[in-house]
Amino acid sequence: MSSPQVIEAKHLTKTFGRGHVAVRAVDDVSLSIPRGELALIMGPSGSGKTTLLSMVGGLLRPTEGRIAIDGVDTTQLDEAGLARLRARKIGFIFQAFNLLEALSVEDNILFPAHLAPGGRAAARDRADELIVKLGLEHRRRALPDTLSGGEQQRVAIARALINQPLVILADEPTGNLDSEKGQEVLMILHDIARDEGCSVLIVTHDPRVEDVADRVLWLEDGSLRDRKADRHDWVWDPVCGMRVDQWTATRFAEHDGQRHVFCSQRCLERFEAEPERFADSGGVGNGGTASAET
Amino acid sequence: MLHWTLRTLFARPAYLLASACGVAFALMLVIFIEAVFAGESGRIVNYLQKTKGDVWVMQRGVSNLHMATSFVSDWKVARIAEVEGVRKATPILYMNASIEIGGRQWFSFVVGMGEGEGRAGPWRVVKGKRRPGKGEVVIPATLARITGLDIGATITLNTKKLKVVGLSAGTFSMANSVTFAHADDLSDVMSAFGMISYVLVDAETGVDPRILAARIRDRIDKVNAVPLEDFIASDREMAMQMGVEIINIMSLIGMGLAIVITGFTVYSQTSRRRRELAVAKALGVRNRAVYGSVLLQAMCIALLGLAIATALAYAGAPLIEALVPLVALTIEPEVPLRLGVLALVIAAVASLIPARQVLRVDPATAFHG
Repeated sequence: MSSPQVIEAKHLTKTFGRGHVAVRAVDDVSLSIPRGELALIMGPSGSGKTTLLSMVGGLLRPTEGRIAIDGVDTTQLDEAGLARLRARKIGFIFQAFNLLEALSVEDNILFPAHLAPGGRAAARDRADELIVKLGLEHRRRALPDTLSGGEQQRVAIARALINQPLVILADEPTGNLDSEKGQEVLMILHDIARDEGCSVLIVTHDPRVEDVADRVLWLEDGSLRDRKADRHDWVWDPVCGMRVDQWTATRFAEHDGQRHVFCSQRCLERFEAEPERFADSGGVGNGGTASAET
Repeated sequence: MLHWTLRTLFARPAYLLASACGVAFALMLVIFIEAVFAGESGRIVNYLQKTKGDVWVMQRGVSNLHMATSFVSDWKVARIAEVEGVRKATPILYMNASIEIGGRQWFSFVVGMGEGEGRAGPWRVVKGKRRPGKGEVVIPATLARITGLDIGATITLNTKKLKVVGLSAGTFSMANSVTFAHADDLSDVMSAFGMISYVLVDAETGVDPRILAARIRDRIDKVNAVPLEDFIASDREMAMQMGVEIINIMSLIGMGLAIVITGFTVYSQTSRRRRELAVAKALGVRNRAVYGSVLLQAMCIALLGLAIATALAYAGAPLIEALVPLVALTIEPEVPLRLGVLALVIAAVASLIPARQVLRVDPATAFHG
């Protein structure tokens, strides 16, 4: 029986280590996400976002608290039960795409299908549908290392959707993509929540994602808090010109005494390759700061 | 999973081939050691096989020709010939001896043949006489080639000088050879007057050698009579027993080497694929399926190694025999089959090496970029 809240976590705590070296990565977090909602978890590096996502995805057991996915208490499941749950009810999207390098696009998409009832044969039509929907028809037989970053992430999204999961968990899905491809992936995730009725939970640093999110949650020091809208501090990425919240941004570079903030690793690398070309586009405190929005 | 496992394995064909060749090398070691012993054993019983005969009669308590000494009173030959079903009884004087050829000692079976008797003599002579007279000897042609001797040369049996008058084919092996001398010369050397060593019995047509052997044992006092088939099996077994420990040790070394190579390969494959395994686990693949994948890869490597080893062994054996005449190689048909089972054992043991690694792959690491 389906629960109105597809993801329901209560008083989740995760502690790593023991005694005086113990670290509380997640501290008493409660979270509910209904069907069809796209929620963001944002926060500074080391705030426990990935740990929280891993617990929700049944990859990591909480030290305290409980998590229910579609009404099933995952903390009560054994390893085999968790594996079954992950295969059938959860789709994962990773920052590094994590495609299986020896398999073609089609085989990567179909890989989780053999873990679900019906196997690959039953999922073949679904795979065809996803391949078309995500614009991968011409890359069906290609191996991952011949794909662009955007294509790889679309394959990863198709793989996550093949078993028609209730939940999509994405960890920095735009982290390795340029702004255009990142935007494309965000729109796909937005459509998944709307059209497929999935609950999509995204962990990200990327402020662009806020535009497509139904809800933004802020995780800091292991605790989930309401997003403080007045803490935006917008600047422009000198490479792509995108607006970046320097308070949450993670990629920076110093050049000629100026501090520059970037939306992605790709932009940072492009800047580092040719700093003179982009430095005039602006730095923090040098006319490059965007007007703060609240 | 099967598709993924095989595609991953074959994604790097050079790496796979290198691993399989490593395993093949180890298995070839086993195949060749066994082939050498089988080949030598085959040559050891070659004399019995070629001489044929239906029943061999010897001193009671003796059941071999190889490494055995037998004395039977010569008057019993006539008694044996009178037994119902015996067509012919040929006496043979025989000793295991060290003969000096070209200043070097060679271990040899020496068969003493009666005057004008060719029944127990060499079955093919490539040069010279078939039947040695007094003071003469027929030696293996291979031995003559190795030592550089030819017809007319002299060899020494104990202290007796004998002249080489014939060169026989198929009578040489690394462990021993068959040399044919006149019975009187051998009798002198053995001081075995009035004695013979074995009686080679040819049965009348339609007589079962097993029944005839039993009849001879029954009728003639203090002799053992063995059908040819059993006599050959007994000699072959003895020859193999002499080498069985070496075979076992070399097989264990080869197997250990194959396990280490296969294990290292699947271990390094597993290490290289740690991230993929974490992703697979995150997507819902269970530990036992991941372990099954590792086991299947190990099996593929081991069986591919076996196929390469078998092909190279069959192709290389005639070449080795041509290049090194001292070595006789016989690859028994059951050896590759037996090694097939061995390869599966190797794979099973080798896959245990990365098993712990597989179990410790944390699916949560799939999130770490």
